[in-house]
Amino acid sequence: MQFILAIILFVGVVGAVDAGVPWPRCKTKETKP
Amino acid sequence: MIAGHFGFAAIVKSRETKVPLWSLMLATVWLDIVFIPLFVMKLETLQPVPGLSGGYGENIIHADYTHSLLGALAVSAVFALFFVPRWGKRCALVLGFVSFSHWLLDLVMHRHDMPLLPGNLGHFPRLGFGLWQFRTASALTELVLVLLGAWLYWRAASAVTTEAHRGRTRAIVTAALLVICGLTVLGLDVTATAG
Repeated sequence: MQFILAIILFVGVVGAVDAGVPWPRCKTKETKP
Repeated sequence: MIAGHFGFAAIVKSRETKVPLWSLMLATVWLDIVFIPLFVMKLETLQPVPGLSGGYGENIIHADYTHSLLGALAVSAVFALFFVPRWGKRCALVLGFVSFSHWLLDLVMHRHDMPLLPGNLGHFPRLGFGLWQFRTASALTELVLVLLGAWLYWRAASAVTTEAHRGRTRAIVTAALLVICGLTVLGLDVTATAG
């Protein structure tokens, strides 16, 4: 049970808040013009 | 160990800043996520150590597929390969490493229940240094990983947000959440009577 809670907290909540920090990004797939 | 794995992921984030934190958090428990369906199907099981209640660190974990050395490498490779076309080789490699770090950290904690090969093929000696036999030391190890992860995350995030002149509040909240969630999960894990 605490494992599921941990995933929700760390992947979902912490991950979502961190997404607003202006980190550099991994190379993303570029679309051809 | 649950909280400690997330602490380690935060430590990696401070060094590999391009990899999104959510993906590192997912990677660090990927082996346990794959364990869940196998546990439901009773292919992998938990068994309380004889004489103990099955609480924090008191289980023999028969995760002979996901937590075997070869199984962990394979599961981590699949996880990494998923991200290669999306984020490139470098970030995918980091995610694969973080996924496999789960096995390495578990190796320190587990009670001689981790096989080399899936299904314990060949019946080689099982691995595990058994830190779980010492509850306080195990919990302190996890606490150190959580606090170190939050601190290193904050240091890296602070540098990034200062340069970008934005996102500082998000960084502060994230670092605080790493500590709060880490302490919450560790507290629940340590005080659990079973599982």
